[in-house]
Parts: sequence; structure tokens; C-alpha cells
Amino acid sequence: MQIYLPIAEISVNIFLILGMGGGVGFLSGLFGVGGGFLMTPLLIFIGIPPAVAVATEANQIVASSISGVLAHWKRGNVDFKMGLMLLIGGVIGSTLGVWLFTYLKTLGQIDLVIQLSYVVFLGIIGGLMLIESLRAMLRSKTSRPKRKHHNFLHALPFKMRFRRSKLYVSALLPIGIGLLVGVLSAIMGVGGGFVMVPAMIYLLGMPTAVVVGTSLFQIIFVTANVTVLQSVNNFSVDVVLAVLLLVGAVIGAQFGAKAGAKLKGEELRILLAIMVLGVCVKIALDLTLTPDDIYVLGNAGGH
Amino acid sequence: MLWRLCLLSLTLFSLMSVSAVTPALAMVLDVDLSKPDVRLNVSFKGAELLLFGAKDTAGDVVVVVRGPQQNQSVRLREKIAGVWVSTDEVVFGNAPAFYALASSRPIYEILPAAVMESERIGTDHLDLLIKEKPDGASQQTIQEFTDGLVRIMVKKDLYTNEARVIELIGKQLFRTDLWFPANVSVGEYTVNTYLVADGVIRSKKTSHIQVHKVGIEARIYNFAHEQALIYGILAVIIAVISGWTANAIFKKRA
Repeated sequence: MQIYLPIAEISVNIFLILGMGGGVGFLSGLFGVGGGFLMTPLLIFIGIPPAVAVATEANQIVASSISGVLAHWKRGNVDFKMGLMLLIGGVIGSTLGVWLFTYLKTLGQIDLVIQLSYVVFLGIIGGLMLIESLRAMLRSKTSRPKRKHHNFLHALPFKMRFRRSKLYVSALLPIGIGLLVGVLSAIMGVGGGFVMVPAMIYLLGMPTAVVVGTSLFQIIFVTANVTVLQSVNNFSVDVVLAVLLLVGAVIGAQFGAKAGAKLKGEELRILLAIMVLGVCVKIALDLTLTPDDIYVLGNAGGH
Repeated sequence: MLWRLCLLSLTLFSLMSVSAVTPALAMVLDVDLSKPDVRLNVSFKGAELLLFGAKDTAGDVVVVVRGPQQNQSVRLREKIAGVWVSTDEVVFGNAPAFYALASSRPIYEILPAAVMESERIGTDHLDLLIKEKPDGASQQTIQEFTDGLVRIMVKKDLYTNEARVIELIGKQLFRTDLWFPANVSVGEYTVNTYLVADGVIRSKKTSHIQVHKVGIEARIYNFAHEQALIYGILAVIIAVISGWTANAIFKKRA
């Protein structure tokens, strides 16, 4: 069954979109990532204009993150205090990021910068996570888990107690992570969960279960902000597409959160790492393999 | 009386020389469309319009459909340090958003290249305006960019460079289906119908097709553009409610 999208201006199959929303929503509930780094390339692949794909995806992530957060909240897996700190950093970071985006655009190679940052960040994060979680899995089979080690990060001022995360660390840490993620999400057009989740696990030492809920909590606000900004600046949010995606996604996210509760932290991290690396390889191939046509339509189009 | 005839033939002669259409031999050509517009509604997945007409003599028919003109940038990709990078850019000032050609026989058997060029028939004769080009770009380079544009548009189903078929029914009637794919742009489309005999255009008729959004599609589109802030906030509210509802439903089942 086909439906014509008013803003994207193309006709799509309803069930294809529902299915894509469901699949990505499942992963989002499972890993606490918004799923933007998967869905945006998928939408572009089926022919949605990139600007519409990025903006509409932000709108859909709002819904799946809320659905996910509520499911995690029920299990007491959202650290609101930590989320607030992340959010403060995120607001500052995304403002900086938008400014950087505009600057890179004037240099004329924004597309390349976006693709390269995808490859670099997904590659580093995916690789590190895979190695670490494989090690953790082997360790848990042979001996008891090692105690968290203290490093210079614990010497920072403004220490705060985060009861849910069972942490006593400087507030500068979550603010700093939020800031970095904010910059990246503005440039890469994603919620930033795939950066935030590993950062909270490895830099802060937060328990994986709490990380997922807290990450989703912060993503709600960042993507809601992006949705409004994109609507106002680019008129590129397609509500019809967003509704179709989010119907699939909110349901998928519920199943994802349930499945996540059954998996171990290391297993979750291995799966997420493999997925992140998969997308990384795909984008790297797009950049290096000979394209179908050496000419492409530029973005100076319009009427 | 004689000088009047002379003047008349002189006028005709001068008209013949300025136009590819030969009025001395102009013939009757009537054209109509099954519908005057293409409506983009919720269930739109491309539309077929029937173009039909009548002529009073033997001869071939050629139909050219052009979409609204737009600025269109085309970029070249080159491999630099192992990575494909967009480099040179050409901006065309009047690229049609849509271009379709139909003819009753293969177009090159009907019309000489010179006529096709002057009437801009066929994707080889789009007569594109160059708005921006790389410094010192040769004619050859521009042509390669133009060919690139046509290739991309053909792939998107927006340009047709191989003529679709016009059916001739007897000597006087003809019909063809014009296909508008699901990714057409809105705007005014121009349909030129030519009556051709012996490699000369004998008559030309121009009609217009409006491609526009209707119903809920038009409302959403206009709302998004006219009340962008409210639209954005509503989009977020819809997302929040959907997320909440889904959770409530699942909570009950659990």
C-alpha cells in the first residue's frame, strides 16, 4: 500500500516504513541509542531527500526515546540527575555544533566531513567496545570482575553524588560528555546515543542498565530541539513520515527494552559494537568504492 | 490586385524564414488532455494522463512535456587519497524538473537535428543556461556535466530520452499516455504537440498541465511553510503522545 508524503514529495510503501520503524525502534530500546545513525542512511537509501530524512528522523527519535525511557524508568534505570548534567552539556555543545556546521558549510565540503566523522567515530567506538566487551566476557567466565580503577577523572572538582548510578564523580564529567555529544549530533544529524552510551560506561563507569535509560532521557530533549529548529529553518520535517516511523518505532522500542533486560551487559555491548562497525564499514565503502556515476546532483537545487 | 498578392506572398515568405513552423502549409491540429491537472493526494503514486488529438492529414506527431525550470547544481566526484570527493560544480539556470518526449515514429526518422535543436526537442537539445562553472571550463567539460545531469534525471525517471510511443489511429486521430512518476515536482508543465511532415513542423499546439498538491497533502505542506514554529512544536507533541500511548498500552499487557 503506497502513501504520498507531503514534505518528502515521494510515494512510499506504508509497510516498508512501519517495518523500518519497528526494526530500528527495537534496537533503540535494546541499546539506548536513538537509532538515528541507522535510520537516516536507510531513509536516504529508499529515496527520501537527505534533508527531510535527517529532520524527520529527529522527530521520530523523540517518540521512541520517550517510549524507551518510560519502560526503563519503571525498572528504576533512569538517573535524572545525571541526565540533567548531560543535558546542560548537550545544549551548549549543540549550539557550538550548529555554529561549526555553518562554518564547515561555507568551506563547501560538509558532506565529506559528515561521512568522514561517521567513519572515524563509529570505527573508534565500535572497535573499542568490541574489544572491551569480548575481554569482559572472557574474564567473567574465568574470574571475578575487576574493581573499577581510579584515575585522574576522579580528581576533578565539583563532585556530586549520583545515587542511581552509584557514582560520586565531578559534575564536569557528564557535562563534558554532553557537550562533546552535542557537537557531534549537530554535525552528524543523530541523537548521539552511540557516542554517549560507551562514554558513560567507560569514562564514568556507570552500570550499563542505567546508562541506557539515562541516555534516552537526554536524547528526548536534544531531538525535540532539533525537530523544532529544522521545522523553522528548513521546513524539512515530514509529519506523515514521522508518524509512520514512530508507530513502528514505539512498539519496537518496547520489545527492545524487554529483550535488553534478558541480555547481559557484555552481550548487549558486543551486539551494539558489531552494529556500529557494520554501519562504519558501509559508509567507508560508499566513500571509497567507485560510484555508479561520477556526477551527482548538488544542493543548489530548488525552484 | 496583383500587388496585393505579391505583398501577401512576401509576408508569408518572411514568416517562413523566421519560424520553423511553415504557415503556408499549416494544418489543423487539435489536442486535448484527459485531465487538466495532476493531483498529488495521499494515494498518489504517479499519474497517467491521456493526450489525444486529431489532425486533418497524414504526418507524424511529436509531443514534448517540460516541467518547471529550476536552478540545478551538478557536481563531479573525483578520487582523492582513496576517497571520492565532490569537486567541480556546474549550476544550470533553467534545467526542467521534468522532460518527456513521445513520437509516432523514432524521432530521428521524423525530424532533422537542426529542427530538433531549434525547437529544443530531445534531451540532447535542452539548451541549458550555465549559471556557474569552474574557472576555465571548456565546452567539452560543460557537455560532460550536461550529459551527467541527463543521466541522473533519466535514472530518477524524470527525463525520458527515448521517445515514448504515440499511436496513430487511422489517418486523423492520435493518442499517447503521459506518465508522471511519484517524484514529480509541483508547478506548471508545458505540453507542446507538433505535427510533422517531410521533416518540417507543420503545426504546433501548446497546452498546460498543473501539477499540484490537494487535500490533506496541501494542508500539511502549507501549514509546515506558513506556521513553521507551531508545526515543529506540534510534531514534537505528536511524538511525545505516541511514545506515551505505546508505553501505556504495553504496561497494561505486562
